[in-house]
Amino acid sequence: MPLLKLENVTKRFGGLVAVDKVSLEIQAGELIGIVGPNGSGKTTLFNVINGVYPPEEGKVFFDGKNITRLPAYKRAPLGLGRTFQIPRPFGSASVRENVAIGAMFGTLADKVSVDDSLEIADRYIELVGLEPHKDKEAGTLTPVEKKMMEIARALAMRPKLLLMDEAMAGMNPKDIDDMVKFLKRIKDEENIAIVSMVEHIMRAVAGLAERVMVMNQGAKLIDAKTEEALTDPRVVEVYLGHPTDKSKWRSEVWKEGKDWDE
Amino acid sequence: MIFTLLAGNLTHGLLLGGVYGLATMGLSLIFGVINVVNVGHGQFIMVGAFVTLTMFTTLGLSPVVSIPVALILGMALGFFFFYTVMRRLIRAPELTSLLATFAMGILLEEIAKLIFGADFRGYNWGVGRITLPITTIPMSKVYAFIGSIVIALFLYFWFSKTRLGTAIRAVIEDNEGATVCGVNVGWIYALSFAIGIGLTVMSGVLLTMFIPVGINPYMGGGYTLKAFVIAVLGGLTSPYGAFFAGLIFGLIENGAYTLFALIPGVAPFPLTVSLAFWMLFFLLLVKPTGLLGK
Amino acid sequence: MKNTISKYYPLIPVFAAYLIMFIIGFFMPGMWQMVALLAFYCALGQSWNIFMGMTGYVDFGYVTFIALGTYGMSLGISYFSQFEWLGIGILVIGLILALFLASLSALLEAFIALRLRGAYFAIACIGINEGLRYFIEGAKIWGGSEGMIFFGALMQAFGKETVNQLTTFWADFSVFIIAALAAFLNMHYMRSKIGYALTAVREDEDAAKVMGINTTKYKTIAFLTSGLLGAGVGAMAWGLKLGHVYPGDVFVIHYTVECIVVVLLGGAGTLLGPVIGGLIYGLSKYWLAVIMPGFQLLIFAPIIIIIIVAAPEGVVGLLKRRLKGTQLEMFIE
Ligand SMILES: Nc1ncnc2c1ncn2[C@@H]1O[C@H](COP(=O)(O)OP(=O)(O)OP(=O)(O)O)[C@@H](O)[C@H]1O
Ligand SMILES: [Mg+2]
Repeated sequence: MPLLKLENVTKRFGGLVAVDKVSLEIQAGELIGIVGPNGSGKTTLFNVINGVYPPEEGKVFFDGKNITRLPAYKRAPLGLGRTFQIPRPFGSASVRENVAIGAMFGTLADKVSVDDSLEIADRYIELVGLEPHKDKEAGTLTPVEKKMMEIARALAMRPKLLLMDEAMAGMNPKDIDDMVKFLKRIKDEENIAIVSMVEHIMRAVAGLAERVMVMNQGAKLIDAKTEEALTDPRVVEVYLGHPTDKSKWRSEVWKEGKDWDE
Repeated sequence: MIFTLLAGNLTHGLLLGGVYGLATMGLSLIFGVINVVNVGHGQFIMVGAFVTLTMFTTLGLSPVVSIPVALILGMALGFFFFYTVMRRLIRAPELTSLLATFAMGILLEEIAKLIFGADFRGYNWGVGRITLPITTIPMSKVYAFIGSIVIALFLYFWFSKTRLGTAIRAVIEDNEGATVCGVNVGWIYALSFAIGIGLTVMSGVLLTMFIPVGINPYMGGGYTLKAFVIAVLGGLTSPYGAFFAGLIFGLIENGAYTLFALIPGVAPFPLTVSLAFWMLFFLLLVKPTGLLGK
Repeated sequence: MKNTISKYYPLIPVFAAYLIMFIIGFFMPGMWQMVALLAFYCALGQSWNIFMGMTGYVDFGYVTFIALGTYGMSLGISYFSQFEWLGIGILVIGLILALFLASLSALLEAFIALRLRGAYFAIACIGINEGLRYFIEGAKIWGGSEGMIFFGALMQAFGKETVNQLTTFWADFSVFIIAALAAFLNMHYMRSKIGYALTAVREDEDAAKVMGINTTKYKTIAFLTSGLLGAGVGAMAWGLKLGHVYPGDVFVIHYTVECIVVVLLGGAGTLLGPVIGGLIYGLSKYWLAVIMPGFQLLIFAPIIIIIIVAAPEGVVGLLKRRLKGTQLEMFIE
């Protein structure tokens, strides 16, 4: 049984079809990347998965349960964690309190007290390296620190599936490599599936995910093993606007770790 | 018989509705542009009423003269409050601007009390009355209605035909977008706030035609609440929506009053007021963007 | 265990302040009236703060709860004073009615108004308050605009001596109790999951939902708590103490504004704030009423504006900042 299963999910905003009949299966403990140009519907897909709004059509199953119409707050305790493209810290609360909120209302909600949650928070804060900033107001962190805090907050929820929306945007190559290593380690240690959404940074996708889904204009373009997906002529065309030599694409753009934009 | 009565009262309601509409346009304009609900709205109406009363009783000037005076005074007050207080609160949490405008309202009430005392007062603008088959209407009310329509139309053309008006509409539509298009948003904020207050004070002049002895420092609160109902009915950010909603509100108010008066054992006036709020409540529940809104 | 207790240390200065106020009022002749007024503002500020301070929602209609509390007590005394065997029990019935009416309206409001945000919520709450007031007057229920006068019933039930004690001491004393209870609940919520959930709601309600927080539930808890405490204050300080109730006297938004001023002066969302705010506001109001009667509002209006613009954190907010990192930090919240 897949951990997450989407069946022909469609989400519209007025006349715009932001997500167009997307089907997808994710197994427990898997690491999958979703890529696609700006506005291709990645964030919207996440929002449908974790219940920010329901889809117009299609179904969402999590852990075998139909959660298509379940409100967002009931999904987190089932094991759906999430970080945001533009970080959304609870600004006036400290980093520690932010992360503790994750622990308090995540899958452990019924089992942990406030004190337990604060202890759990400390563990994940250490894990993401925010120890020195523990007692700062979250609103005062730098953008990258905010992203790390969101990851800690989502991990403290002890999710089965972690949805990460552009967690690596704005990072330098070294940070990206560290992040990739970190996510792989987390995946194994915590035994969670991670869906990581990346827009341009090929270095991250290539190193991170075993499997990639490419989206274009709301629809699923391809869903395959990473290397295969990223070298598929259709994918190349979506990004460059014209077909190109496969080996050239691979060596220049992908392996060298450049942005697709360049 | 009852239909004649109803028709007569609805006519009065329509006339008052025009003034209600004008009185709410300022509230919607300010909310639309700077996203602030002016909780002290009614007190600016009160200022307009006292301007009219004073000019009429001490200088013997007709309310027609008070209209431009009220506009200028209102805009001056608007600019003053904007640059001293509101400017600093635009990005602040909602609580602060709600409180600040409330405090402004109290300040105006207390200053009015200091100057004029707390009595109910009024004046009589003897311009005759007109007799229709269904009712008799003082001409002053008719003039007030015409006045509010003329002002609303003028505003409509100003908004759609002038550069400044278009800029204001752009800011109502989309704050960030407007900045990019080279609109000086800071000045638009100030100007809109001032125009909003100016309109409100001006509507106070017209309102005096409907309240022969109702002018007093604390008259404003009730109108703030009515203006909320009307603004929500009209879509909250749309000044024209507010004007039409005002007409509808005037009709409902007078119609409901006529009907409630037929029920034995109740007090029709407060019941009508309460109806307005249940309406507001219901509206917010089913369609917070307003019936006439998008 | 020590850890748990020390988390409640910030209650110490609050309770100390209430105790000192009580002692001054009780033992110094002629002071009780003023102290009771201060307790009234502290209790209201503390109660209102539980909802507004923690969620950031502005409930201009808060006075609805105080008013319904007053009506509950009034109904209890008016209708049950004829049963002599009930004795002091009629006050208990009155209090229960007060809490019942307040929870009814709180739940109704929570169901409807808490689905709205920001200005819409504020407007809806004003609407409910006014709607209720004019409905009572218009439909002539509970005496309509003439209200209810039950001082006589009170006299008949308890006799002059007891009534005198009830209205001049016990009514005020129970306001003290409510103030302390409100402070305790406030602290307790701050230290429990409720407080964390409400912080999340205040900062980013949508993100809070995604984190698994049932925002409606927690907002309703805070709303109900705050409303019930307000109803208690209304029942005692207005109902029992005055012996009458008129809709035009109790459904008055100005009282909500007084709560807001108290909380803002002291510091919204803090524990000690409403106490400090209540003391400053109550004292200055009392004093202004003596030296320039009738002009309090003329002076308060600009003060509100100045606080909002210049010191939105309030006294305790500033104090907390000052004490950060010192030994005293753990006593201030
Ligand atoms: N709440 C909304 N209302 C209306 N349109 C929306 C909304 N959210 C997204 N859209 C539109 O849906 C489309 C898909 O947007 P989405 O944010 O999902 O794309 P994305 O792949 O995450 O893009 P990006 O790389 O920029 O983050 C875009 O055209 C966007 O403008
Ligand atoms: Mg996105």
